[in-house]
Amino acid sequence: MRLPDFSYLSPGSIEEVSLFLRDHGKESKVMGGGTDLLPSMKQRICAPKYLIHLESIPELNRVEFDEESGLRIGAATRLRSLEKEPVILERYPVIAQAAGEIGSVQLRGMGTVGGNLCLDTRCYYYNQSDFWRKCRPKCTKMGGDTCNAIGGGKRCFAVFSGDLAPVLIALGAWINVVSTRGKRRLPLKDLYTGNGAEPLSLEPEEIIVHVEVPPIPKEGFASYLKYRIRKSIDFPLASVACVLVLDRKQGICREARVVTGAVSTKPEEITGIGELLKGKRIGDALVEEASELALRASKPVANAASSPAYRRKMIKALVKKTLTEGVRQSC
Amino acid sequence: MKEKVILQINGENREVFIEPKRTLLEVLREEIGLTGTKEACDTGACGACTVLIDNKPVLSCLTLAVACKGKEITTIEGLKEGEKLHPLQASFIEHGAIQCGMCTPGMILSAKALLDENPDPGEIEVRKAIAGNLCRCTGYVKIVEAILAVTRGE
Repeated sequence: MRLPDFSYLSPGSIEEVSLFLRDHGKESKVMGGGTDLLPSMKQRICAPKYLIHLESIPELNRVEFDEESGLRIGAATRLRSLEKEPVILERYPVIAQAAGEIGSVQLRGMGTVGGNLCLDTRCYYYNQSDFWRKCRPKCTKMGGDTCNAIGGGKRCFAVFSGDLAPVLIALGAWINVVSTRGKRRLPLKDLYTGNGAEPLSLEPEEIIVHVEVPPIPKEGFASYLKYRIRKSIDFPLASVACVLVLDRKQGICREARVVTGAVSTKPEEITGIGELLKGKRIGDALVEEASELALRASKPVANAASSPAYRRKMIKALVKKTLTEGVRQSC
Repeated sequence: MKEKVILQINGENREVFIEPKRTLLEVLREEIGLTGTKEACDTGACGACTVLIDNKPVLSCLTLAVACKGKEITTIEGLKEGEKLHPLQASFIEHGAIQCGMCTPGMILSAKALLDENPDPGEIEVRKAIAGNLCRCTGYVKIVEAILAVTRGE
């Protein structure tokens, strides 16, 4: 498969990128590692006129930490760096673990944090070559008006398949976005529209410059569980990120955040679980109730490598597993 | 628009005249004639196209050649010294770790990157390091044995 024609730029500063995107944003794609963009271009899912490589901008490729504000990760930081960075291993091991579950050694050496957060949503009927897709009507995500996964309707069910987002949302992360119109700072969860066809709330001229992650409370438990068929390379088919803060002395839950991935068009925080568990001692019955809540909130369709029913059941099983482990570790 | 690009491959400077859309894999195989690096899935899911860039394993099918200026590229052809095979290459042959050979160049380069960073890995670290290189022939057992044999100096 050959890439389509494009003009290539590798700017040296965020300013240069913003200026170019102001004038050409709609015909451009920004590239971190290219591990999501280039396969899509090979399949003619997109064919931008300009490719802007963010490889040569030092401020985008760094990890900083301070005790008060927490972690600050540049958007072009390689995923492999997250796996190995001492401050992340020490203070945010769940981020190193989640990053380590992405793709393969090669993919993590190329892929970036920003790229994983902005990963295009995926669907068995969309992530195919031009030739394959020609056998079916043009789907909503490609600009048509039907969904091939469910065989009708206009709504797009393409799945959010990134591994970092559920974890970072559970940790309360923020992103900083820049364009010539200025800067804006928003909770990471607001990056995701829930529209499978247009999953990101970024304007064409905007880029994410860094991610901020507040400190995890000392008594906090955080985990990421990913269900997939093979132990590497695969995208998640269902995943659960969890942050649990228990009062060690009384064993009472102060805070619980559970975010599911890969069973919706965006990472979904199951807010009902937080409300259910707050202020209570978490026993088996509550774990069962919480995991059932997560199952009922998850409505995947048949557009991935595992059946919707199995993926929903895995959400329940993963929530159960992580809450049980969280309670066990915190007491 | 074609442009002149100088790539440093296996210690030698090679000049090519290419468009930005050419991947490193295409340029290695078609412009330079180094066909040791293989094209299999071409979409980043199999690792057959693995090369080392600044000693880091990357997928050449998803790397733009124009983005490789000033970087050290190592392909499978760069491993032997004169006529002497690299210990990993010799070990793969001795342990029956090669059947059709398509995964082998990528597999060996991933293994080399591991051993350069960690000369004494356990089996789990070896399996993790080659987890991005798929093999449809061998079932991986001989490959893992071949790599571990090198760590033991065999």
